[in-house]
Amino acid sequence: MIQKLKSWGIFKSILVLGIFGLILHSCSQQEYAERTDTQVNMLGYIENDPDQFSLFLEILKITGNDVFVGTYGTYTLFLPTNDAIDEYLTSRGASSIQDVSMEDLEDLVRLHLIEQKINTSSFTDGKIPTSTMYGEFLTTGAKNENGETKITVNKVARIIKANIEVGNGIIHVIDKVLPKATQTLAQMLDSREDLSLFNEAVVATGWNAPLNEPLTYDSDSVPSYLTVFAQTNTAFENAGINSLQDLKDRYSHTGNPMDPDDSLNLFVAYRILPGLKYVADLVTSPSHITKAPSEVIGVRVKKDTVLLNEETFNGQLERGIPLDREKSDVTATNGVLHIVKENFNVKVRFPTPVYFDVGDQPEIRQLPSIFRRPGNEVTFYPGELQNIRWGGGLYVKYVAHTAGSREAQAYWGDWLEIQRLRTGSSSWIEFDTPVIIKGQYKVWITYRTNGRASVAQAKFDGELLSRTVDFREYRNTELPPRVYESQGYKQSLAGDTWIYNSRFMGIVDVETTGRHVFRLEALTGAGGPSWIDVIEFRPVEMDQLWPKLGGDGELVYENEGEEPAEGE
Amino acid sequence: MKINIFKISFVLLVVMILQSCDDYLDLKPEDGTVRQEFYQTKEDVQAAVIGIYDAMLNQPAGVNDRPLTDYLFMWGEMRADMVLATEYASNDERDITRFNILDTNPITTWSAFYRIINFCNTVIELAPGVLEKDPTFTQEQLDSYVAEALTIRAYLYFTLTRTFRDVPLKLDATLTDQDNFQIPKSSQQEILEQIALDLKEAEGKAKENYGSPAANKGRITKYAINALQADVYLWLEDYNSTVQACNKVINSGNYALIPANNSWFNIVFAEGNSTESIFELQYSLNNLNPFYDMFFERPRYTASARVTEEVFGVNFQDPTKKDIRGDRASLVAINNYIYKYIGLTTNERKSRATSDTHWFVYRYADILLMKAEALNQMGDNEGALALIGQVRERATALDQTERNPSDTEGITDYILEERAREFAFEGKRWFDVLRNAKRNNYERIDLLLSMAAYSVPSDIQQSVLAKLEDSNSHYLPIYFYELYANKALEQNPFYE
Repeated sequence: MIQKLKSWGIFKSILVLGIFGLILHSCSQQEYAERTDTQVNMLGYIENDPDQFSLFLEILKITGNDVFVGTYGTYTLFLPTNDAIDEYLTSRGASSIQDVSMEDLEDLVRLHLIEQKINTSSFTDGKIPTSTMYGEFLTTGAKNENGETKITVNKVARIIKANIEVGNGIIHVIDKVLPKATQTLAQMLDSREDLSLFNEAVVATGWNAPLNEPLTYDSDSVPSYLTVFAQTNTAFENAGINSLQDLKDRYSHTGNPMDPDDSLNLFVAYRILPGLKYVADLVTSPSHITKAPSEVIGVRVKKDTVLLNEETFNGQLERGIPLDREKSDVTATNGVLHIVKENFNVKVRFPTPVYFDVGDQPEIRQLPSIFRRPGNEVTFYPGELQNIRWGGGLYVKYVAHTAGSREAQAYWGDWLEIQRLRTGSSSWIEFDTPVIIKGQYKVWITYRTNGRASVAQAKFDGELLSRTVDFREYRNTELPPRVYESQGYKQSLAGDTWIYNSRFMGIVDVETTGRHVFRLEALTGAGGPSWIDVIEFRPVEMDQLWPKLGGDGELVYENEGEEPAEGE
Repeated sequence: MKINIFKISFVLLVVMILQSCDDYLDLKPEDGTVRQEFYQTKEDVQAAVIGIYDAMLNQPAGVNDRPLTDYLFMWGEMRADMVLATEYASNDERDITRFNILDTNPITTWSAFYRIINFCNTVIELAPGVLEKDPTFTQEQLDSYVAEALTIRAYLYFTLTRTFRDVPLKLDATLTDQDNFQIPKSSQQEILEQIALDLKEAEGKAKENYGSPAANKGRITKYAINALQADVYLWLEDYNSTVQACNKVINSGNYALIPANNSWFNIVFAEGNSTESIFELQYSLNNLNPFYDMFFERPRYTASARVTEEVFGVNFQDPTKKDIRGDRASLVAINNYIYKYIGLTTNERKSRATSDTHWFVYRYADILLMKAEALNQMGDNEGALALIGQVRERATALDQTERNPSDTEGITDYILEERAREFAFEGKRWFDVLRNAKRNNYERIDLLLSMAAYSVPSDIQQSVLAKLEDSNSHYLPIYFYELYANKALEQNPFYE
C-alpha cells in the first residue's frame, strides 16, 4: 500500500512537471532552419542578374527547365549573356525568343548543360570528357585576342567569367551561344569546296555511307563516332594529283575502288579512325587503329606540331605528315574532322626480325659510362624504368659484362638480372617491345642458365604463348642444331659458350605495327635471379638459326663461317 | 568541519581580490606591442635581425604555410621546363605546372613573404630608437643592421614582384591590429624602383666583412647587396648599372669559381659557404632543411626528362667527359632525382638527420652570367661570350652544349642555356626565361612559348600556348583570401 502510494506520488509530480513544461514550451515559436546552406542555386544566380541573363532565364521558363536548374544536383552550366542570345537570334533571323521553335530552344538549353561539375582547371585542348545533356561533346581551348587570352568553348564562345560556384553546380559565363553541330561527316565533306577531291574519293570508295550514318550505340553502349583525316585539294595538287582519275591511276590497283581490298579504298579507310578523337585525344596515344584492317596511324608531337606516321624505323627517320591544327577539331554530328597538310598513304611494311636487347632502355642509354661498357652495372627499382614494369619491390639490375668473360658473349655483352622472378609478390615482369611490324613471328628468349631460377610462362599482349621457359635448363651442346631447333631450343649467340640457352616460346600474331607488351610470369619459386639477354621476334618464314647475335652487337651470318658447317 | 569551510572561503576571497585588480587597471592595448616596449638594447636589435634570417629557413610553429624556400623553389621552377611534379605533389601544385591556375590555389599564398617583410619593417622602423636607450649601441652597428633588413626586404619584394607583378608595397611596421591593412597594389615598376632605392641606402650602410666565412655568406654583406642590385637592374633593363654592380663584386677579389675536381660538389653545395658563394640561407644540423622530404623521401619534384640529355648533354663516346654540374650534382641521371640539395658527395647522400644543405641565393657564377647578359644587351658580344666561357670552363661543360653565336639573340639563348645548367633547380629558371622574354615589350615571347611547347603535356599544349600569349598569365593570381582581407586589392585580370 505504502509502496503504491509512493509511486502514485511520483507519478503525480511527473505529470505536473510535464504539463508545466508543455505550457512553457507552447508559447514560443520554434525557428527551424529550412536550408542547410544559403548559397543560391543556378536559377537564383540567373535571376539575380537580369541585366545579363534575362533572356536565358526566359528560355529556361519557356522550356520548363527553370525548375530543374533550381533544384539539387551537380551541373555545369555554360551561361550565355543577353548579348550572346541576341546575336544568336539575329543570326537565325528571329526577332524574339518566341520566334524560335520549342525544339530548338530545348536543344539549346541541353547543349549548355553538363550533368557533372567541371571547373576550368580540368579543361584540355580537346573535348570535355562528359557529354552535354544534348549528347554532343563540347571542346575547350584558349584563344588570344588583342593580347588577352580567354578560355574558349567549341572554338567560338569565350568564357568571360569562370568557375562561379553555386549550390547545385558551377557556372561559366560565355559570350556566345554554343553552336550545335548540324552536319554529318559526309555532309560536311560534301559542303566544303576545298575538300572536293577528297570527297570524290570518299564517294567513289563508298565510304560516304558510313560517314553519313547518324550516331548509334552498340550493345556495350559504345557510340559509333568516327574521326576523319581529310586533305585539301591543294595537298593533293602538291602531290601531283589533280582529279579523281589521277587518284585511281595512282592507287586503285584492282580498278574497283568499292572493293575493300582495293588500294584506293584502303587509302580512304586509312584516314578514318573509329571513335571521337580530337587532337588532344590523338596526342595522348602513340598509335591509333584505323578502318583499314590492322593498320595503325602513328601520332607524335614535335614541339607544337602534330605529325602522323613519324617513326624511326631500322635507324632511319621517316618524316611525318603535319596536321593543320587550326583547321582541325571540327565537330560533326557523328564525329570529328581533321585536316592534314600533305598527302600520305598506308605504310606498307613487311615483317622484319626484331632482336630486342632487353638492356636497351632509354634510362640506361642515358648512362654512357655504364650502357654497354664492359664491367659496369646499375640497379633499378620499380617505377624507375618507363618501358619495364615488374611486381614486388625488388630490383632489376643491368650488367655489362667484363670483356673476354663467358658472360660477355651475350648479345651486346649485357643482360638484365631480375631479382627475382618467382611465384609470390615478384611473380611478373613486363616489357614494352620495340616497334614490331604486323605479321607472324616466332618468339625466342635467350637467357643465362641459373640452377636456382624459375620456370615461367610468357604472354604477348595478354595472350598466353604455347610454351614455357625453364631458366634452369642448360643448352644441349650435343644435338645437331636443326634437330635441337625442332625441339624448341637453339644456340642464338655467335659465341659458343654453354652457359646461354635460347628457348622457343611460341608463335605470335602481331596484328598491328607498333609497340607491344611482352610479359613473363613465374610458375615456380626461385632461389636466385633470372638473367635475360635478348628476346627475338623472327618472322615465321625466316631462318630461325641464322644470323646469330654477337657479343659486340654484330649479326653473324651462316656463310661467314665462324662456326663449323651445319649438319643438314 | 565548519572552520575548514571558513578557512577555505577566506583564502579564496583573498586570492580573488588579488587577482581581479591586476588586469583591470592595465591600460595597455592587448592587440599589439607598444613602441616603447620594443627594443631596449642593442642585443634586442641583434636578436631581431638574426630572427629575420631564421624566419627565412622554416616557418614558425603553428603556421600552416610552407617554408620560404619551398615557395622560392616552386615559383621559380614549377612553370618552367626543368622539373616534373610527381605523384607526391598535390593537385594544386600539378595545376600550376599545367598552367591551370585558379585564385583558390593555395600555392599562390604569399603570407610567408609578408610575415618576414614585417620583421624587416620593424627593425628598420624601431632600431634607430635604441641609439638613445642603449649608449653602447653605435651608429655603425645600427647602420649595418638596418642594411640587412633593407636588403632582405628588397629580396622578398623582388621575388614577389617577379611572381605576382603588382603587389602591395608595405614599408612600415605593423605593430597593432589597428594598423591599416587596406593597401592597394603598386606596379612592378614602382616596386623595382623602391627596391633599387632601398638597396642603394643599404649599400652605404652594410658591412663588407663579418669576420667569419659562415657569417659572410649567411648574412647580408655589401657584395650580396651588389649581387641583388645587378639582378634588379637587369629587370629594370638598366644594363650600365648591372655591369657596375657586378664589377664591384668581381673587383672585391673575395670570390672565385672553384675549378672542377672530385670534391667540387661537396665543397660548393653539400658544405656550402665556399668562395663561390655570395649569399646562402644557412640551414644547419640544428635547423634542417625541408629538402630531404621534398626531393628524396617523398619527392614532389624530379628533374624533367630533358635535363640529362638536352640541358647538360651526354658524351656517348667518352663518358669520362662530363659536365660536373650534371649527373650526380644537379640530379641523378638514372632516376632523375634532384640531387643538389640531398647529396653529400657525388656518391653519397645525406641522411634525414644531416640534411642541412643551404639554399643558394647568389653564387659568383650568377655575377658573371648577369654581367654577360648586360654586356650582350649593350652590344659587347665578345665580352659576354668570354664570361660564359669562364663559367663553362670550370664546369668542364661538354662541347656539344657549346654554341658560337654572333648576334645578340643567339647569345641570349646561350646565356639562358648556360644558366639552366649552372643554376639547375635553384629556383631561377622561370624568372630567367621570363626576364629575357619580356625585354623590349616582349620581343622574345618565343622563349616562353617554345619552353612551354616542349615541356607541357601535349593534350593541353595549345591552350597553354594561347594563355602564355597573354602577358598577365605570366604572373600568379592573388590568393582569394587576400582579396577578402584587403578590399583595396584588385585581382590580376587574367584570373577574373
